[in-house]
Amino acid sequence: MVNVTLKADSNQGLINRNIYGHFSEHLGRCIYEGIWVGEDSPIPNTEGIRNDVLTALQKLNIPVLRWPGGCFADEYHWKDGVGPLSERARMINTNWGGVEENNHFGTHEFLRLCELLGTEPYISGNVGSGTVQEMQQWVEYMTFDGESPMANWRKSNGREKPWKLTYFGVGNENWGCGGNMRAEYYADEYRRYATYVRNYSDNQIYKIACGPNEDNYHWTEVLMREAHQHMSGLSLHYYTLPTGVWQDKGEATGFNESDWFQTLKRTLHMEELIVKHSEIMDKYDPECKVGLIIDEWGTWYNVEPGTNPGFLYQQNTMRDALVAGINLNLFNKYNKRVQMANLAQIVNVLQALVLTEGEKMILTPTYHVFDMYQVHMDAERLELDYESPGYTFGEDTIPQLSLSASRDQEGVIHVTACNLSHTDELEVVCQLQATDSSVASGRILHHGEIGAFNTFEQPENVTPSEWKGVTLENGQLRFVLPPASVGVIAIKA
Amino acid sequence: MNSRLSMETGQKSERSLCKGCDDQYDVQISEAKLARLVELASRSRPVVADAEYERRLSSCYSCPALQYGSTCRYCGCLVQVRAKLLDSTCPFPYNSRWI
Repeated sequence: MVNVTLKADSNQGLINRNIYGHFSEHLGRCIYEGIWVGEDSPIPNTEGIRNDVLTALQKLNIPVLRWPGGCFADEYHWKDGVGPLSERARMINTNWGGVEENNHFGTHEFLRLCELLGTEPYISGNVGSGTVQEMQQWVEYMTFDGESPMANWRKSNGREKPWKLTYFGVGNENWGCGGNMRAEYYADEYRRYATYVRNYSDNQIYKIACGPNEDNYHWTEVLMREAHQHMSGLSLHYYTLPTGVWQDKGEATGFNESDWFQTLKRTLHMEELIVKHSEIMDKYDPECKVGLIIDEWGTWYNVEPGTNPGFLYQQNTMRDALVAGINLNLFNKYNKRVQMANLAQIVNVLQALVLTEGEKMILTPTYHVFDMYQVHMDAERLELDYESPGYTFGEDTIPQLSLSASRDQEGVIHVTACNLSHTDELEVVCQLQATDSSVASGRILHHGEIGAFNTFEQPENVTPSEWKGVTLENGQLRFVLPPASVGVIAIKA
Repeated sequence: MNSRLSMETGQKSERSLCKGCDDQYDVQISEAKLARLVELASRSRPVVADAEYERRLSSCYSCPALQYGSTCRYCGCLVQVRAKLLDSTCPFPYNSRWI
């Protein structure tokens, strides 16, 4: 049993809803077939966007969606992707193994998707192979409400009014596919490019600089030292691999208990990365004006056997549900500095929310975690005091319990909880301080097998259910987390 | 999304030499590799007879959804592997081309 104290009067600041954001790259079947099927497709669609995926994603109230990459952004030239479909340039996506790109899903289509989802667009601009002028014109095309060559071109392409665009990435992974730059060089390039990412009309851009990969603290140091006055956010990329080895990452399914443990241990490394990068950011920005934007995170496994390796298609099990729950709890915990996070990726690629096959679509365990956790969006984080029991496997020990708590705008307190142990349930007794709430109910995502997943034949093998046994009496909340489970509890007056 | 990780010097450690700087993400699959993947898949799962395999593949090769000579756009599968396995179905929307 573990004792927890939840301080209901401890306002720890807002949990930015953008922590629950997503990422959509032109890669494999994320965009094409996953989101975009075109108006002529037999698959029911709205202006080319498939309806089943749209409906599923609308239920998550996705706050922000990043596009078009990733590495794809490093070679994306936006002018190829506007105007009549039949006249759009065809190209080869060299970053992803030579995938053909017909540019049918471009700026108008992405921004229409965001409108249909009710989500904020986050566009990643091309510093690696693009020009300052190209980037300046893209922002002008999208946001200028006046007379200009780009605004007039937008109007001639069917969009009279500009879009509202807040989030703009000035480069992507410029330490790698975005130009193999040194931090010192990119810092100067960032300053130059960002200068011309203008605020047209009344549109205000939140500029996001390319930040570090994993534990590249030197990158953070240089970017903050040289350019923090010119940025609103700094990105961080960290992927969870069961093996930690890129050439053989481990399998998405059929894994053993050791793989389970090692994956969760590696995903917990996210906390060290947030803390250490934040310490550097604190030196130059003690008031936390610059957000840490974790705009690529999630699991990365070997591709599903028998699928094209360039498509990065993997299955999604209870293990992914735990990875999602643990990381989202961490992002909540560090809400002062972490202002956005984007799971990679939204459909059919890496740790996807939904998978498609022809006209079929299934929801993944990760989808269900995001559905359960959306209660934290824009809620006040509440302090939790507890000491987690250890979860030991072999000679390694990690915490067994991961928790978050917040109070939403209606006064409802929500607690999200993960039991990392693959064998042991965990009883939790939580003292609620400074609240007279008396009713608690919950939902739990759990399956008897840690490797359980949904298939097109069994789409509801892993789904949340009512969490029986959650009680609240005399200010004491009690619940039992089954092994390998993720739960959410609502506490009301 | 990083397909070719930084070769940056300085603070980067040796372990981050590469996420994918070999050919593991190429969408073009060699015939030899395809044959090996079909053979691997055949070891652990029931397969169809040769005639049925050829019939299915024939449909795939004439299908507008075939990409790169190997890949079905609707499921991302290598058709040579998918067609070989007994339990497979054709994912063409609403209208299997294997029937």
